[in-house]
Amino acid sequence: MERWPLLGVRVLDLSKVWAGPYGTRLLGDMGAEVIKVEGPGAWDMIRALTLLNHTSERGYNKSSYFNHYNRNKYGCALDLSHPKGRELALRLVALSDIVIENFRSDVLSGLDFTYETLRSVRPDIILISMPSHGLSGPEAHHIAYGTHIEQLGGLVSLNGYPDGPPQRSGISYGDPLAGATAAAAVIAALLYRRWTGQGQHIEVAQWEAFLSFVGEFFLEYSLTGSLPPRRGNRHSSMAPHGAYPCQGDDSWVAIAVGSDAEFAALCHVIGRLELAQDERFADVVSRHRNQDELDAIVSAWTRERPHREAAAQLQGAGVSAAPVLTVPELMADSHLAERGFWEEVAHREAGVWTMDGPAWRFDRTPAHVRLPAPCFGEHNDYVFRELLGLSEDEVAELEREGITSREPLPGQDE
Amino acid sequence: MPEGLLSELTILDLTEGAAGPFCTKLFADYGARVIKVERPGRGDPARRVGPFPQSPNRDAGVLFLYLNTGKESITLDLTTATGRRLLLDLVEHADALVEGFAPGHLQRLGLGIEALHGRHPRLIVTSVTAFGQTGPYAGYRWADITSFAAGGQMAVCGDPDREPLMTAGHQAAYQAGIHAFGATLAGLYSVGVIEIGQHIDISAMECMTSTMELALTDYAYRKTDVLTKRRGNIFSAAVGVYPCADGYLGVHIMPRNFASFARIMGAEWMLEDERFRTARSRLLHNDEIAARTYAWAAGVTKAEAYRRAGEERCTITPVFTVPEVLAEPHLQARRSFRELEDPRARKLSFPGPPFRPGEGEWELRPAPRLGEHNTAVYGELLGLERRDLVRLRAAGAI
Repeated sequence: MERWPLLGVRVLDLSKVWAGPYGTRLLGDMGAEVIKVEGPGAWDMIRALTLLNHTSERGYNKSSYFNHYNRNKYGCALDLSHPKGRELALRLVALSDIVIENFRSDVLSGLDFTYETLRSVRPDIILISMPSHGLSGPEAHHIAYGTHIEQLGGLVSLNGYPDGPPQRSGISYGDPLAGATAAAAVIAALLYRRWTGQGQHIEVAQWEAFLSFVGEFFLEYSLTGSLPPRRGNRHSSMAPHGAYPCQGDDSWVAIAVGSDAEFAALCHVIGRLELAQDERFADVVSRHRNQDELDAIVSAWTRERPHREAAAQLQGAGVSAAPVLTVPELMADSHLAERGFWEEVAHREAGVWTMDGPAWRFDRTPAHVRLPAPCFGEHNDYVFRELLGLSEDEVAELEREGITSREPLPGQDE
Repeated sequence: MPEGLLSELTILDLTEGAAGPFCTKLFADYGARVIKVERPGRGDPARRVGPFPQSPNRDAGVLFLYLNTGKESITLDLTTATGRRLLLDLVEHADALVEGFAPGHLQRLGLGIEALHGRHPRLIVTSVTAFGQTGPYAGYRWADITSFAAGGQMAVCGDPDREPLMTAGHQAAYQAGIHAFGATLAGLYSVGVIEIGQHIDISAMECMTSTMELALTDYAYRKTDVLTKRRGNIFSAAVGVYPCADGYLGVHIMPRNFASFARIMGAEWMLEDERFRTARSRLLHNDEIAARTYAWAAGVTKAEAYRRAGEERCTITPVFTVPEVLAEPHLQARRSFRELEDPRARKLSFPGPPFRPGEGEWELRPAPRLGEHNTAVYGELLGLERRDLVRLRAAGAI
């Protein structure tokens, strides 16, 4: 029998979009039984982000974004805003260890689905709330996506080319950070419950969670009253440090040189031994001062070769370097392949494709993609009949009343 | 009843720099006893990253002061036989050991997984490195920029006609660190399930590749590369950073946010216009929406746009500078920053808890001076006396 760290832990997952689902994917990867609950009308809007031709049938089950970040989860449809739906959800809470949500800050109280209510049916329940701005405070009514969190947190103002504006990171960076933070909070709370028997309500305000990822800048500003300028790929002390152009179209290698020994190694690899003796580059300070000249010298060498080859030669000599890998290159990368990072997943409606496997690698309890992401309402029977013990007729009645469904209602994709 | 959320735990911290220390800082701030093992004399190189407090004792700069709150520091030279023996003695008192050496380094010192588990079978060992413990890049040297490059996030950041960009700070290291924290907790939970410890391998590259969003998922599924390239600040009209009257605004409009967005821009007419009625039609008229958004943003301040976004419950935020974040009324009201009197600096502003537990506390305590806790740790845990420590110091072991 396979064993996983969170085997036997049940998570009722009310979260949507990316921050919450990224966190519950980590929990599902670790063997928790994650049950994703979507409303018949209030389904996860990422299902609509398919980029498929709109004639694609049941496209809501074929969103690659949804299917990557909701693997290792079950799915059921249940309208929490209906009194009967809420009652069934509370019966599920009684069977669960964790409830996790990333609604707007006022939704849970509006549904009368607060921690106090949950605790009345499951005294040691662990509730994780992850609204963007937190549950209280003058801006608690604001809403935000992961792109906003990096803007609110100060990171975007620090990013960018030295001569350019603030720069977005290119992904909804606040989401996976909040998700990973929430997953850690869940497991910390499970340990605390093991030690004390107590559950709890944990608030993961995504904005606050993000502050820890730029923490040193707040210390620096409070100490000195100033901040480093935007400097793109350059470093406060190291040089050369940057992305250098390589053979081919839009192909780059990242290089970081700190010590004199690393610089000597770089000079050797690029066949410019004399530079190690050149007073312009004699030590860290001089190299940093003359980095424009250095960058031109390094670029002249990198331009002549493919990025992987440049990186391999430099690493072989003890210099930090790596190719700037694009997504197609990542998916063909020998290192990730040899580590078995990619897994082939067969989905009932979306077909077979390759996705990234669990990033938490355990030697005694290796994790894999056990379950493809759920089709909408795919596990209604498991949840309502097996877990809650409803009869076939009772489930059919719920469907007639629109409290559950096997198809999402239209609307969220408009 | 434990005071801190994780007060029951003791973590042996063999990490330096940013990734491992971020992981163990999270443990320490939630109350775990974290014993940081540093090289005698030099200590963690992060101590020497400035700026530094104005103090006669320039023991550490802000990066170290931030990443090592709440930890105890001991010195220990693992290249000596005595040092290795002391480490194995300490392992018996730990629940987890976190390390970030080059793969194989501990093994070569005789401190590999078998040796550690031989001494303490229920120990969780977490290795957090740039590329993981196996594979062709395993021995590659780590820098934040190279992890950015290898993990895929660099290729999607920056302008299309310029070089790809890494983001500011230590984002690769911290992404590895937060994953190492969660994974180590999962490992500690698993000990109660499988009754034995295990080894966890966290690669920064894989953590970053896991979060490539549409760029990866769409390519993996449809095998088209339309979304795999960097697009600068305007990903699409609905998702971008726009210049405004006094700075920049971030706009991210999903279908459900479009109506409130049109109202904020004073363009309710768009809601009646066929061109903008559905998500699909808006995609076809992307440039018209972008032009409208540029024009609106140019005439509005960050504060005004943010206030209106709150009223309309729309997804628009200012691009805040660091001093703006520190002064933000919402964060002030929530005490999202905490001031700490560090013995080396007057007052420093630290981010508060990344998550707020209902039970079990989070507490900020200053980062340690090098070897500050030698007497406490070696005395309390290993029963060594002052003269033993004098002898070990003379031998260079601590």
